[in-house]
Amino acid sequence: MRVVVAEDLFLLRDGLVRLVEAYGHAVVAAVGSGPETLDALLIHRPDVAIVDVRLPPTFSDEGLQAALAARREIPGLPVLILSQHVEQLYARELLADERGGIGYQLKDRVLDADQFTDALDRVAHGGTALDPTVVAKLLGRPARVDPLAALTDRERSVLALMAEGLSNAAIATRLFLSEGAISKYTTSIFAKLGIAAAEDTNRRVRAVLAYLDGSGG
Amino acid sequence: MTGTAEVGPLRWARAVGRGLYRSVVVTGVTGALPAVVVPVAFFGFRFARSWSTDLSAPLPVLALVYAGEIAMTLLWTGAAGWFVVAFLGRALSEAARWAARRWLGASVEPQYNPVLPVTRMATGFWWNGYAYHESQREARRRATLDARRRDPQLRRDALWLLVAAVTVLPAAAAPLACLAAGGYLLTRPDLLGYGLTLCAAGLAAAPFGWRLLGPVGVRLLGGSRRSMDRRVEELEAIRADLTQTQAAELERIERGLHDGAQARLVALGMSMGAAERLVDQDPAKAKQILAQARSSSAAALAELRSLVRGINPPVLAERGLVDAVRALALDAALPVEVRSTVPARPERPVESAIYFAVAELLANAVKHARASRIEIDLDYGERVLTATVTDDGVGGIGAAATEPGGTPSAPPAGSGLAGIERRMAAFGGVLRIDSPVGGPSRITVAVPCELS
Repeated sequence: MRVVVAEDLFLLRDGLVRLVEAYGHAVVAAVGSGPETLDALLIHRPDVAIVDVRLPPTFSDEGLQAALAARREIPGLPVLILSQHVEQLYARELLADERGGIGYQLKDRVLDADQFTDALDRVAHGGTALDPTVVAKLLGRPARVDPLAALTDRERSVLALMAEGLSNAAIATRLFLSEGAISKYTTSIFAKLGIAAAEDTNRRVRAVLAYLDGSGG
Repeated sequence: MTGTAEVGPLRWARAVGRGLYRSVVVTGVTGALPAVVVPVAFFGFRFARSWSTDLSAPLPVLALVYAGEIAMTLLWTGAAGWFVVAFLGRALSEAARWAARRWLGASVEPQYNPVLPVTRMATGFWWNGYAYHESQREARRRATLDARRRDPQLRRDALWLLVAAVTVLPAAAAPLACLAAGGYLLTRPDLLGYGLTLCAAGLAAAPFGWRLLGPVGVRLLGGSRRSMDRRVEELEAIRADLTQTQAAELERIERGLHDGAQARLVALGMSMGAAERLVDQDPAKAKQILAQARSSSAAALAELRSLVRGINPPVLAERGLVDAVRALALDAALPVEVRSTVPARPERPVESAIYFAVAELLANAVKHARASRIEIDLDYGERVLTATVTDDGVGGIGAAATEPGGTPSAPPAGSGLAGIERRMAAFGGVLRIDSPVGGPSRITVAVPCELS
């Protein structure tokens, strides 16, 4: 895979490049500011980009804005956003275009290299990889939209893992169930949320969006 | 002054010219009140007398009539004086201040009451800081009147006009009067000598007469000592409060760093050392220690993160007030709707103060109000940033201190609301509570500020 890394702290950028290369991917560009990130994404059109939220020159959400701008130019460009903290607000903005290929993870996740590259892979293949912290916050809220209330507890936990971006196989392993059972749950979740069969990835992202809307505002 | 290099007579001429100009200005500024009041008194009394000129009655009756006429005249004169003070008082005092500052370098700082912004209460009425009104226009209009009526500075302005009319005015007008009278006498050949003398006296007095503006103006044109003292006391209390809060906050951060993250990093270093020693003899054990070290570093990170959040929420730094409040709303346990008409970011300290106030109000509403939904409105208008948190809960916040009818009053001391109020006061802002028992509650914080 061809990867672009955008991170302003040299040590972390260097570490990310090493990590990605250690897993056999090619880093085509490693940049350290918002404008550079946008340029690199548009020129290299990587298979996946790793972008820090807070970047120079403003040290506000330059990285996030650069990623969103690049995705407007190149729809569905896979981006894994890394941040020191996770905000539902940003998760919503990232997921707003329903195209998948989006990850939003705490920087700490880099500590667990396997999990991190797993998330990177999922994002590169058009999936989602939300940080468990975001999902946990969502779970902590009482749902107030009826379609979600119709879900059973088991279906809710499947949806939560779906929101993290796990595949059916991965969800099956986590919940100690068979993959067939999971796909039955996902079908009934899609039915209850009124999401018609379309392209499979899109359906999953839309289910996550329904979940976000149901739990948020 | 440019006159130092000039020769004597020219310097004198300039001083006299300047003195005459200043005398004219000071006379004009201080003479407006007598210019209206004296004719009213004079002609008013003549008019009142005209009612009884041909009256023939016993002496007691005449005395009574005379007293009545004097009272009538006083009434008219008082009314005329009141009109002048009400409509011109501030402008005349400001003009006198301008002259005192410019010519004498006097420091006269007035403290006029500001006109407060009007806000809509949950009851549908408009509150202008003094009273409720049915329409916004009425509330705005009355806000101006109320600010004027309750302004001690305007009372001092009236006092200045009265005192100046009998002190500064005669002194400043004397040279002008001498010149006028002298000029008139110069046209009478038989009184030429007197005329010349009067003119000379007027010119000689011109550079000095207006200077009485200094000592009298300094006493009466500035803010009153008492209200200034009160403001100083207020500011001192606020500063003490802030210093204390800040010290407590620093202590909390220091403790957090010392007991948490720092200790974990030390433990991390020790685990690494142990792993280093074990890596050859017992690789499996070393791996286990390294795994522990990794989870310990993650915990240290999480601790540091929560510590930073308490100081300055990252989303506030990155996105500003409006999005930070939206993020708060998303994290709340209740449905929260956020509306904003704030076009840009305020100054950072104000932004942070408003954010933490809203966060606290939101937490209060979630915890105590038994509300089912909350609305947050952020508005900016007339250089005041307001944040309003409205819930549909049980209300009755500060009920003990609230007068019947739900009139907003001071929140009970020691509550979180009092803390918010003090923090708002540090920025010249206010906290307003509208929370009748039975709900709903509406709490507004308003801070004057500029947007970037």
